[in-house]
Amino acid sequence: MKRQKNIVSLSVLSLVMLFLVSSCHDKLDIIEGQLNTGDVDYTNTDNMIEPLVGAYYEFATRGWEESLLLSVRGDDVNAGGLGDQQPFADTDNFTYDKGYWMYNSLWSLHYRDIVNMNNAMGQIQLYKDFAPESKYALADQYMAETKVLRGWFHYNLARVWGDIFIINTATPDQEIENGVSTRAEVMQYISDLMDEAIPYLPDMRPNERGDIQGGVTKYTAYALKAMANLELENYQAVADACAPIINSGKFSLYSDFYQLFKKPGELSDENLLEMQYSDYGSGTGDTFYHLYAPYGPQGWTPARANAEGGWGFYEPSMKYIKFMLDRNESVRLETSVIFTNRGISDLQTAGYTNLPSFVKNSTRDGDVFNDYARAKFASGKHYLPSIQLTDGRNNYGGGKNFIVMRYAEVLLMYAEALTQGSSGSGMTADQAVNLVRARAGMPSISGVSHDDVMDEKYAEMAMEWGIRYYDMIRLNNYTELSYDGRTFSADKELLPYPQAQVDALPLGN
Amino acid sequence: MKNIASLFLMLFCCSTIYAQQVLQVSGNVSDEGGNPLPGASIVVKNTTNGTQTDFDGNYTLTKVPEDAVLVVSFIGYTTIEERVNGRNEINFVLKEDAQALDEVVVVGYGTQKKADLTGSIVVVKSEEIEKTPTANIMQSLQGKVSGLQVVSTGSPGDSPTVRVRGLGTYTGATNVLYVVDGMFYSNIDFLNTKDIKSINVLKDASSSAIYGVRGANGVIIIETKSGSINKKPQIEYDGYTGIQHAQNVLKMANAEQFTTMAIESGSQPDVQFVLNAMQRFGRSRINPNVPDANTDWYDEILRDGLMQSHSIGVTGGADNVSYSVGTNYFSQEGLLDMKNEYERFNIRSKVDVNITEGLKIGVNSVFSNATKYNAENAAWFKAYFAVPIMPVIDELNTEAAPIRYSNAQILGYRGTQNPFTDMVYNDNRLKIRKLLTSIYFQADIIKDRLTFKTTYSHDFSALEERYVNLPYTLGNNVERISSITRAQNNYSNQIWDNILTYNNSFGDHDLTVMAGTSFRDEAASSFSATGQNITGIQLESSWYLDFAEDESFSGNVGDNAKRYYGISYFGRVAYNYKDKYLLYGTLRADGSSKFTKDPWGYFPSVGLGWVLSEEDFMKDNGIFNYLKLRASWGQLGNDNVGASAGSNTINVITTAIGDVPTTGVTSTNTFTDNTWELIEEKNFGLNANFFNNKLSVEADYYIRDTKDAILPVFIPIVNLYVPKNSGTIRNQGLEANLNWNNSISEDFHYNVGFNFTTLKNEAIKLPDPGYIDSGTAEFRQRTRLGDPLFAFYGYERIGVYQNDAEIQADPIAVANNLVPGDLIYKDQNGDGQITDDDRVILGSFLPKFSYGGNIGITYKAFDFSMNFYGQTGNKILNRKRGEIIFTNDTNMDADLAINRWHGEGTSNTYPSSAGLRKGWNQKLSNFWIEDGDFFRLQNVQLSYTINDIKAFGKNVPTTKFTLTAERPLTVFSYNGFNPEVSDGVDRQTYPVPAIYTFGINIKI
Repeated sequence: MKRQKNIVSLSVLSLVMLFLVSSCHDKLDIIEGQLNTGDVDYTNTDNMIEPLVGAYYEFATRGWEESLLLSVRGDDVNAGGLGDQQPFADTDNFTYDKGYWMYNSLWSLHYRDIVNMNNAMGQIQLYKDFAPESKYALADQYMAETKVLRGWFHYNLARVWGDIFIINTATPDQEIENGVSTRAEVMQYISDLMDEAIPYLPDMRPNERGDIQGGVTKYTAYALKAMANLELENYQAVADACAPIINSGKFSLYSDFYQLFKKPGELSDENLLEMQYSDYGSGTGDTFYHLYAPYGPQGWTPARANAEGGWGFYEPSMKYIKFMLDRNESVRLETSVIFTNRGISDLQTAGYTNLPSFVKNSTRDGDVFNDYARAKFASGKHYLPSIQLTDGRNNYGGGKNFIVMRYAEVLLMYAEALTQGSSGSGMTADQAVNLVRARAGMPSISGVSHDDVMDEKYAEMAMEWGIRYYDMIRLNNYTELSYDGRTFSADKELLPYPQAQVDALPLGN
Repeated sequence: MKNIASLFLMLFCCSTIYAQQVLQVSGNVSDEGGNPLPGASIVVKNTTNGTQTDFDGNYTLTKVPEDAVLVVSFIGYTTIEERVNGRNEINFVLKEDAQALDEVVVVGYGTQKKADLTGSIVVVKSEEIEKTPTANIMQSLQGKVSGLQVVSTGSPGDSPTVRVRGLGTYTGATNVLYVVDGMFYSNIDFLNTKDIKSINVLKDASSSAIYGVRGANGVIIIETKSGSINKKPQIEYDGYTGIQHAQNVLKMANAEQFTTMAIESGSQPDVQFVLNAMQRFGRSRINPNVPDANTDWYDEILRDGLMQSHSIGVTGGADNVSYSVGTNYFSQEGLLDMKNEYERFNIRSKVDVNITEGLKIGVNSVFSNATKYNAENAAWFKAYFAVPIMPVIDELNTEAAPIRYSNAQILGYRGTQNPFTDMVYNDNRLKIRKLLTSIYFQADIIKDRLTFKTTYSHDFSALEERYVNLPYTLGNNVERISSITRAQNNYSNQIWDNILTYNNSFGDHDLTVMAGTSFRDEAASSFSATGQNITGIQLESSWYLDFAEDESFSGNVGDNAKRYYGISYFGRVAYNYKDKYLLYGTLRADGSSKFTKDPWGYFPSVGLGWVLSEEDFMKDNGIFNYLKLRASWGQLGNDNVGASAGSNTINVITTAIGDVPTTGVTSTNTFTDNTWELIEEKNFGLNANFFNNKLSVEADYYIRDTKDAILPVFIPIVNLYVPKNSGTIRNQGLEANLNWNNSISEDFHYNVGFNFTTLKNEAIKLPDPGYIDSGTAEFRQRTRLGDPLFAFYGYERIGVYQNDAEIQADPIAVANNLVPGDLIYKDQNGDGQITDDDRVILGSFLPKFSYGGNIGITYKAFDFSMNFYGQTGNKILNRKRGEIIFTNDTNMDADLAINRWHGEGTSNTYPSSAGLRKGWNQKLSNFWIEDGDFFRLQNVQLSYTINDIKAFGKNVPTTKFTLTAERPLTVFSYNGFNPEVSDGVDRQTYPVPAIYTFGINIKI
């Protein structure tokens, strides 16, 4: 009997234990160490700025190859990097390889950030849904800012590849299915998108903003609108978009062209949009840097010990240097080009025996650029004097901002539009060009022609974002691009779609 | 309680009461062939009095009552009982159990007789494992189990890559599931070889379905040693010490060959760099056109390493208690000449107690305390690339401190190249402390029929990482400040199992039914911080973050945790009719918190067996001594994949706004929402013994599909790959093990074994567009329908253009401005151009065929054994060579330098030096892909056993001396250190050393 009792109790016990685990079923719903978007408290409107800060973070997080690839084909700059990254040098020589990783990287990172912008906009909208009405305007402003950034990414993509997808959502399946839009459609889309954004954006200079200093304002959107219309050769629209910037009276050229591209020029009154980087003045700890090493020299003797050099991947062209010497440029040549002795001796061989004193292998800040194999010149606009580095920081250009749009470009776009026959509601073309020339220490000219403006733009905007290259292909000026042994033709204007994208997207071939 | 105490008392009394008429009995235990059976157990029935036979099969048992019954047993033989009847000498002859019918195999939450198995389970015994000097048990299985691929690693303390039946998951972890005494592990680096009793490899889904939660990569059950009731304590020491030597060291181009390549490259900078080296280091006296530096970097960074292991343990048992306790010390130096070593100290104990009849409790614990100094991988990488025209130390480099190491940048090269900065100025320490502990309670509800067992296991691991970067300068503005990164990772995994087992035999029927539940809780937490500018960095005693600059912590602190839960219900039925017809079935329901879509999966399996040799028509057929046909089908799940997020997630970021660190958030654009990967497998097998059981054959054919395989699906525009249940992966193959055992004379026995494995791995269902790319854009790997996973994908090189006439004759060469010395690619689609459409599958890293074998010879006290292993059909991407695409001014291997094309007829496989730098030749083609075939002498061992020898009037304990050569010879054609590259991409591989050891084993 006792034995049987044992059997019963043991059986009950074991069955209880056997099924005790069923009480743990709710554990299956727990996800530790993860914050889902649905769990965010969107009623806390104070945090609405966080996704916007995130959008600026994504905007400034750029691969080193992106700006290099965007600009390398111009007659202002060459690949440098002799014997390294051959397909990059091939691209400089207009021989394209759709399998080359840089192409795919530029495409992927740009599109990913377009979706990131749209995603940030979605997050801001969620805050707006729960926000008091008093905060609607702020929410709309934040969303408009992401649209301007989104527009800029589309602008680069369309310039490089022509026909591309327009993406306005964070889940773009339908937009992919709709197929690509033509280059012109994309530029018009950007122009329209800016019109949509402008009413919501703050009426101030980026550096005047208190919440996000250096963030997008109304004038950033106008500038991008002008840039898109320039690509469309819709010159009246260019003039009309530039005029509000000029007429606002808020913008001026930073007096010291050399320092504009160094730390003193960061967030200046000239800048309409810049990517911001910093080490916050501390020699250790967190940094938010762009990788400037590709622009740097391979061998140098920096004024501040232990500052690192770079890779020699971005070399101002001999054509540009000669052009500048022929114009007797000093301020802009000194700022744009860094010389090595090898480069100087090549210039002398080419007949430039009487070189100005600033043409030497050191900068005014005492950094000495030794001869190195990969290049003879380096980009001065992407150079930060080693003495401007924070103590304890050695990365080339560490903490330097990257200017994306500046007032000088607006003035020159405006001047070009007028010389193309548009009517201007701001200043005259002469005035605009002379403003730019004056800062560069160049004498005034009058009755500027279209060619004068383009020369001025070449001198002023060289090495910056491929502005020169896209101007030349817009104007079908293939002669300028056929330089130093290169031959350019219409079929070279666009890069082929990256192979990986052809495989995944409806891109025809 | 009182009852238990009195029971103990009674038992103690018993042994004294009976001590009346006692005898000493001695004799010999042998098999039917007259071979002695060492280690056979002789016990006086129903007492603790027992002994084991020595190496000659002899035993002596004292205090045997004259009418006692002796029970003689040995694994693989039928147990016999015999009454003493007053005899002093009794010899026993044990009959071999044809199929070792009584041999019991652990099958998961229970055991099964080997004869009853319907699936494919391979059991590896401890003797086989112990032959290999290694810190990691799985290394010793290489080549021994068909269907099991072990890719060895030379790095001390690292675990080899182990795959069971191919590759069944794409995105998930590829670790096999190890079940150690009931606890789940993905890494068993903490276990000591000597502590293992057996390893069971569950190959087919039907066998592993009961462990079905993460079976995509196979299940391996490991049992640690335990004592047994009524067994005299045996003390055993086992140790070895030896030396490791790097094998097949890759020959790099020397200074002269390198200079020739630089000159022929046509690259002015490269020539200039060589001239710079001549200027700096002078000209060689042998060849004045070569710099006076000729560094063999591999020779500089390699060393021989010591290895040793010492284990001591006691195993035994009394009436109600059995125990096995022991300890082990293991140490291994790495081959890289820096602080690179592994040291481990283990303590182990296992105790089982019979509380009363039918009630049993047991505890088991293994504590492992290891310290590992990791090699600096960058050093291997740099040693390959560093130019030979630079010495290790450059006295002219006065800016370099504290040691004047050379810096290739000073010569003009892009990188510093010198591997010594990584080796000397870095210190990477990992402290690994692991504790496996478990307790179980077992009750017989109905004696011998119904048993309940509850087991709680806890695996606690603490990994303490410390990475120290010492400060140095290297000239050319290369400066590194001091920094320390510390990380603490804790893992706490718990499993609670409840099992109810019912067992019964009635007539010709034999039935086992099991039902159980299991709860799993797997928690991991990690905390890490980095500090810079350490005060007192020169002293190890101040290598703590307290001595770092405070500001340096900003943005350098990380803290997160993961915790997953799993709940399972499972059951099993095993039925046997007349030992002829076998039926086996399992069902398991699993819930896992990793899956957001549907946490529950249901996994059934069934197995059938037919023992033909038991049929009347097969009796006395003269060929087969045993023949069993098996078939099984099963499904199991795999949750060893990344946890699903279920929706977009938030990341916190910091960016610079107006030079102020500003916090914001970004959210993901895509998210995972997955459920179980489902593995479905069919297995057909046979076991057969021929020629008087001298030849045994085990063969299996299987088709194993992973359905709903989680594959990365490319999300265009977002340009991210998101893992989704979206495909099917198939592995299929044939596996066979053959063994021949024979004795030529009483003193001379031998056995020969051979096994082989074929593997066909392919994707049979993929999401659009029908392929998945992996690898990198330059070194593309593609998973395509009908082809293996991660296959190399590129152009087919069919030769090298030899002369201008060939160039002119080929429109492709003309169109691409090619010159002699460039590669010729096959125009696969014949459209007269070489485009991406001409790319083809160039092979996979998975071997198509692998084989292993062993020979064992025993002559008197000598034992000799030899194992070999080989594989064919796998490809390796020589990624080291491929680095030239990114940085082409570095060194290269001698084979490439010597056999380059340098004029008509010099090579039809390698391009010219100039060609190596051209985009055309840098396309991924089979120029970069090499055969990974190899044959290796895996293990050669000779041992001598001293037994029954008296010295100074006392018995010398049984002592065995062993000489072992582990992997002394590997034959392969691949241009690298080592053809064993787990993922086929050889970027930097730790060389696998040959190991030579001397070992002693003493049993008292």
